[in-house]
Amino acid sequence: MAQTMWDDVSEGQEITLTESTSSQRLVIWAAASGDFYQIHYDDNFAKGNNLPDIIVHGALKGMLVGRLLDEFAGDKGWIESWDVSYRGMDKAREDMTVWGKVTKKYQESGKNLVDLDVGVRQVNGTETTPGRATLSLPKK
Amino acid sequence: MPDELPDLTPEMKAAIGKPGAPTTYEVTSLGIRTFGRAVGYKNAIYFDAAAAKAAGHKDLVSPPGYFGMPVFNPNAAAGRAADFETPFKRNLNGGTGVFPIERVFAGDVLDAVTTLVDLKLDRGRLGQMLIRTSETVYTRKSDGKVVAKTRGTGLSY
Repeated sequence: MAQTMWDDVSEGQEITLTESTSSQRLVIWAAASGDFYQIHYDDNFAKGNNLPDIIVHGALKGMLVGRLLDEFAGDKGWIESWDVSYRGMDKAREDMTVWGKVTKKYQESGKNLVDLDVGVRQVNGTETTPGRATLSLPKK
Repeated sequence: MPDELPDLTPEMKAAIGKPGAPTTYEVTSLGIRTFGRAVGYKNAIYFDAAAAKAAGHKDLVSPPGYFGMPVFNPNAAAGRAADFETPFKRNLNGGTGVFPIERVFAGDVLDAVTTLVDLKLDRGRLGQMLIRTSETVYTRKSDGKVVAKTRGTGLSY
């Protein structure tokens, strides 16, 4: 995996992942997380609860943000924190964009840190999962 | 339900700041791989123990945010009862915060202790709602190290 160096990061830099939300993926997530609420995999149950379709687990979106950060930080970097709010429902079977944007690059307590705004956007551009993160990165 | 926001009950107020009993989480190779597959990781340290060791880790590495699964036992006594009653019947996950401190590995067994740190009644798009903020501390049993803290927001409406 490519290693991001703190020196090479710039404020305003953006990172993204495009992720599918197939019913199969949601079932794998249910097994991984232990969240077996039927609104995430049972069409009839979801529609019976006034939902337009099965919906993506909030926690899966949060962990996709974690993966975006982990892949950016690389094996020698470290996620200090990430925090997201689930502000909207995402219908399954639609791609979503997991994104991050560097807002601050600084050094503190001997660490080379980067703050980011993060989130998950639907195909129509609606933001459903805004949040923030801090990474510690190696320096050249 | 009346439109005016009710006050928190004495039972609700008393629940704030009270840690729950520890819950045991097992971090298994199967769990790590299933989590990694669901989230779409490709890094070999999350799937291949030999690759993880070659990268300097003691065993298969747990991806950020994965702290295993609580031990399920249908014959165990019922879990912690609710500390208070609410008129709200539906629940939503409102948010997640993760604060990793130490790497977690396959074979780790963690104690998770959750504390309700804030509780408030508010009005939102879905009407009146109870917003619970809780913090969980994960401690590795083998060495007593706190490996992570998480924050969760639950919405009841």
